[in-house]
Amino acid sequence: MNPNRSFFVPVDSPLHRLNPLTKLTFVFAMILPAFLSVPELAPILAIPVFLAAFIGRVQKPYLNLLLKLILPTITFMFVMQSVFLPGGETILFMLGPFDVTQEAMRSAFFTVTRIFVMVSSFALLLLTTHPSELMSDLTQRGLPGQFAYVIISTLQILPQMQAKAQTIIAAQRSRGLDTESTFLKRAGSLVPLVSPLVFGSLAEVEERAIAIEARGFTSKKTKTSLHEISDTSFDKGLRWILVILILASVALRIWLS
Amino acid sequence: MAFINLTNLTYKYPLTETPVLQNINLQINEGEFVAVVGPNGAGKSTLCYTLAGFVPHFFKGELTGSVEVAGASLLESTLDEWVLNVGLAFQNPFNQISGAKYSVFEEIAFGLENIGIPREEIKVRVEEAMVRTGIRELADRSPYSLSGGQQQRVALTSILVMKPKLLVLDEPTSQMDPIGTREVFGVIRKMAEEGMTVVLVEHKVEWIANFADRVVALKGGEILLEGKPNEVLTSELLSENGFGISRYTSAAREAQKRGLWKKKQLPVTLDEAVEGFKS
Amino acid sequence: MEVISQNAVYFVVVAAIMILLFAWAYFTKRIQKDFITMTWVLIPVAIAINLTIGQIVLLLKLPVYLDSIGTVLVGVICGPWAGALTGTLSNIIAGIILDPGWFPWFPVAAAIGATAGVMANLGFFKNWWKVVVTGFIIAIVATIVGTPISIAIFGGISASGSSIITAFLLETGRSLVSSVLTTNFISEPLDKIATSLLAFAIIDGLSARYLARFPRGENAAVEKGQKQTQLIIALVVVVLLILFGIFVLPMLTGG
Repeated sequence: MNPNRSFFVPVDSPLHRLNPLTKLTFVFAMILPAFLSVPELAPILAIPVFLAAFIGRVQKPYLNLLLKLILPTITFMFVMQSVFLPGGETILFMLGPFDVTQEAMRSAFFTVTRIFVMVSSFALLLLTTHPSELMSDLTQRGLPGQFAYVIISTLQILPQMQAKAQTIIAAQRSRGLDTESTFLKRAGSLVPLVSPLVFGSLAEVEERAIAIEARGFTSKKTKTSLHEISDTSFDKGLRWILVILILASVALRIWLS
Repeated sequence: MAFINLTNLTYKYPLTETPVLQNINLQINEGEFVAVVGPNGAGKSTLCYTLAGFVPHFFKGELTGSVEVAGASLLESTLDEWVLNVGLAFQNPFNQISGAKYSVFEEIAFGLENIGIPREEIKVRVEEAMVRTGIRELADRSPYSLSGGQQQRVALTSILVMKPKLLVLDEPTSQMDPIGTREVFGVIRKMAEEGMTVVLVEHKVEWIANFADRVVALKGGEILLEGKPNEVLTSELLSENGFGISRYTSAAREAQKRGLWKKKQLPVTLDEAVEGFKS
Repeated sequence: MEVISQNAVYFVVVAAIMILLFAWAYFTKRIQKDFITMTWVLIPVAIAINLTIGQIVLLLKLPVYLDSIGTVLVGVICGPWAGALTGTLSNIIAGIILDPGWFPWFPVAAAIGATAGVMANLGFFKNWWKVVVTGFIIAIVATIVGTPISIAIFGGISASGSSIITAFLLETGRSLVSSVLTTNFISEPLDKIATSLLAFAIIDGLSARYLARFPRGENAAVEKGQKQTQLIIALVVVVLLILFGIFVLPMLTGG
């Protein structure tokens, strides 16, 4: 992970240059059909996401994410669901007392491909879009500025608090904190670990509120933005095409049923 | 009519019985540099918050009397209008960083974005302000990667870029090492020379003696003394009431008792002390 | 297959209702008084508390998540809408930096914050036993909102440890919906009661002057009383709730 604690990979690519809203629309154009349209569509949708990772020149971190984050989870889910989901008549084989049916496997397969499409398309957005760029763009489109403040501020506070937590854990360990001992001892060690962290960070809230209010945070004027985020006619056209695709996929589902 | 006009100002925080500020009457002219000194609990920070509009608009509580800055009355204004006239910086530089920005340049632009300044103008003003406060080379750094002194200068620049008519500073160097203190005072001195109206709360009296036009001594929420820096800072009333005073003043006072300090005026700074003892 | 698709529609409908409710309250300015600057600055801190404590708890291998303490805190001292927003954004942030698999759970997180806020408005966040009741109600709401998501998005069996219980219940011949619902009823109360109690302990440690800065600080005014008596009442309440869980829930879920 880079110092800013996001998945963002700072390279130049056609995907990086796209408007953030266009990429967000792309994410939903993958997810909504995957969940709302016919199940057979989900595996097909994995292909454009995969191709987009190459266009965005983030194929390496993308594959890395797939292997480390997504594949272990969905493999486990696939096995669990194949074995335990009830129903189905075509018994493929028995696993101890459990029957694995073709229907359960089919259902499990479609569920995990949907999750695959959802997680990997979001990952693609995050790999190619800096959070502050996404928030600036959405703010310029009318999202209240406070939302951008909360998202960016959290992304900056969190690594600091995690670093503090590491320090406190190390300090407590040297004083004999045991993360391996009995349940009650482990539960009891939670309070000394957590309270300096919580009260320290809450104490900063009041002064930070004063500081940003002194800089016009509550101003009723329309906010402007330092960065101009390009939104080309290509972006606009692409967004329309994606929206039409979403509608078409849902229509396909209704037409087939 | 003075630029700042405090008349019979009395204020109580919510959930408290005793007022933190009592019957304050103070007039400050445009371009004047006023320093405020006082022991802990004297109401210095509350005075700053009042001038900056946070008392009573943010803290609520009970305010009587009147507060006027640049012709506007505090009780008749809203906080978001008031902050356009008055800039505030305080002790902890870390807590003054908005957290909403990834670089110093963006951090300084934050206030201008909030009040709807057009993009091109923001860029010009941020650039200009950074050059004035000498932090141009920090523009692309993360505000969280800076030293305390650098962070405080970023906080000051973030306020100055909004072009306030009055600058209120509440112990801006109290958490700084000597290097950080010098960096921050360098910026404040520049503001004073450019003729900005400044109210500074500070316990480092040697710095005050160097560039304040006037000193106000607060004690228990009331004004104890007010006047020229060297008169107020060397007054015996201050040492009797538990104010922090310059070590050069106390040394010279001891010397005076033994007849070793000949001048009538006691020194505040090292230079004044050296000069006085030489003669 | 059909069950899953129906639930997907249900999920979209619930999400749409929540978004509409939020938009309505926002545009009618009903919630603006809760969203003062103190609230906006508290929310990032609360989210950081959620995720950091969540990670510490993982490290200590405790059988709970405790990843919504900050959400409950905001719900109590800044109102239900702020609590719901904190939960939602907490999941979005977790999705951005930890694993995008967090995104679909945002309605649960939002419901936790909103419920904490509503309970606090009703005065149920002022002493230990009331907080235990609040925790239990939060658990019920989290279960009701979470079950359809679990089924629609994750097919009922996800990669979490509690899925073992779901699998077991499925083998006893229960339906998928009933199994997931029961699993959540078993696993949620302990976590949400512990979460609420920790949030209460935090509030108890904050000064009245500090709490008064927040829009609903009065909700957190701790009732003074014999701590021992309160602890006994809290214990009795917990036992009653467990009995309730054991005897009444199987009837409700048609087991």
